[in-house]
Amino acid sequence: MGSTFLALLRSNRQFAAGIVLLALVAGFSCLSFFSPWPPNDSFVVPPDLPPSADYWFGTTSRGQDLFWLLSFAIRNTLVFGIVVAVLSRLLALLIGLVAGYSGGVVDRLLMSINDTFIVIPLFPILVLFYFVLKDHMSWGLLALMMACLGWSYDARLIRSVALSLRHREFTETGIFSGMSTRQILVEEHLPYVLPIVFSTTMNNINWSIGLEVTLSVLGFTDINTPTIGVMIYWANQHTALVAGIWWWIFFPVLLVVMTFIGLFLLAVSMNEHIDPRSRLGRSER
Amino acid sequence: MSVLAVEGLRAWYRTGTFGVPRDVRAVDGVSLSVEAGEIYGLAGESSSGKTTLIKTIAAATQPPLEVMAGTITFAFPGGPIEMQRADRRALAAIRWRHLSYIMQGSMSVLNPVRRVRHAFVDFAFRHLGQPKPQFLETVRAHLQRLQLGPDVLDAFPHQLSGGMRQRVTIALATVCRPEFIIADEPTTALDVVVQKEVLAMIREIQRELGSSVLFVTHDMAVHANLADRLGIMYGGRLVEEGRTDQLFRTPRHPYTAHLIASLPRLGDTAPKAGLSGTPPNLADPPSGCRFHPRCPRATDLCRREVPPLEPMAAGHRVACFHPEPVA
Repeated sequence: MGSTFLALLRSNRQFAAGIVLLALVAGFSCLSFFSPWPPNDSFVVPPDLPPSADYWFGTTSRGQDLFWLLSFAIRNTLVFGIVVAVLSRLLALLIGLVAGYSGGVVDRLLMSINDTFIVIPLFPILVLFYFVLKDHMSWGLLALMMACLGWSYDARLIRSVALSLRHREFTETGIFSGMSTRQILVEEHLPYVLPIVFSTTMNNINWSIGLEVTLSVLGFTDINTPTIGVMIYWANQHTALVAGIWWWIFFPVLLVVMTFIGLFLLAVSMNEHIDPRSRLGRSER
Repeated sequence: MSVLAVEGLRAWYRTGTFGVPRDVRAVDGVSLSVEAGEIYGLAGESSSGKTTLIKTIAAATQPPLEVMAGTITFAFPGGPIEMQRADRRALAAIRWRHLSYIMQGSMSVLNPVRRVRHAFVDFAFRHLGQPKPQFLETVRAHLQRLQLGPDVLDAFPHQLSGGMRQRVTIALATVCRPEFIIADEPTTALDVVVQKEVLAMIREIQRELGSSVLFVTHDMAVHANLADRLGIMYGGRLVEEGRTDQLFRTPRHPYTAHLIASLPRLGDTAPKAGLSGTPPNLADPPSGCRFHPRCPRATDLCRREVPPLEPMAAGHRVACFHPEPVA
């Protein structure tokens, strides 16, 4: 595992770039633990100061130091993406493996539920939830909801792999030797689908962060927990661009773009690493 | 004393797609027995029901495959067991420990993403009832017997050569010293040199453990090498059975005769004549003898009635109304 990582870092430029970008973002989010101010305190510094030696990213119209505020925001956003990805991956693995392995009625039932989730329009549903819940809407609840909505594509992918694994000899030998269904799924099939899941996890984090930012910018989430989207929301509320406080918008956008590109590069290079055929195709070019 | 006795076995694939019932009579009335310590070879072309037969014998049947009639009885040291009646727990208790199965395409019995060690632990560990370190010691000693170093345990399947993988598979099936081994085309994907090595290994292990082997392949040359007795299947039925030398020297069923005549011989320059026609459609098998559409000796009797499998000589049974004369 460690040697694979080093080899990838050396030979795959996309992977290296992705890792560097994500390391920067993750390192920055860790700075939040050393913040001199809690994230929701306002008017702790003079408002509307441009980036300077004292305030590296400038200050907001609410008198917050953008640097420290941003470290909280990116931390929340990253954790949000990871929580959604992990939860939805668990659902996708469970449903995909069970459906693919069981086949028959179980498969048809699970996949019809799955297809229902695929065709549900996500954005209006999430907005609707916000209007129903209003003040009860929280960061954790949103993560849970997105996890419940974000597993379906992967469940289908995993099911298609599990379908083919079902008829491999090692599965039949496992059944013959008396392994239970749970053992076969966990011991034999899970290691097979994990690399695929690993690569889609990156995409899922991207997807959930993107959706969260969209919802927050429009104010359809809990606007008191600082995230990247919530920061842009408040900047808009204070008409930051009109007032010329460009840094209030610029730095959150810069950071989230870095996260997106980093995750995307990682997903692409992972994909390539998992499927050697695409690696071959690249070297021929 | 026979370890395995199969009586009048019928196993059909029953499907009802779009409300059209369809029965594929893959195994239709097979009776055979395998003695202790012998290698019984099962031969026949593709779609003759070989794999279905041994799947049924191992009670590894899944819908749409259904056992319609017949009994399968194993006589193991723990007492005889009838496979169709036994419950899951009884089956689990004999599998691997007393009855092991080398699957068709055994090259892929090993999970490509797990180390070989896990295959042994997953498939064989619970059947031996030993603590883990002692179990791994047993495995290592057994691998040694098959001329494999202990380091293969830490390898992934793709790091082993085809022959090594095959030996690992055989080690996997024999590590619990089972009394009965079912092998479904274990050497088909190997080249002849490795094949010879693997066959010698199977024979050696079989002699050492004193197990019985039910060996399935369409390759008559392999059978000539390995099997003590031979059963020839055609269209889901056993058409001839006898000692291997007996069968090769004096085949009595026209199909067997053709199978053996098709083998190349040193110095033989005569062109080989293929058998016309195709294997029967088992969803709608021919009436009477299933070989009659392709048989040069077919008569009205063959078209009307099913020839019974009857003894011709000591230990030699043939299902044919017009057996070939003894040359």
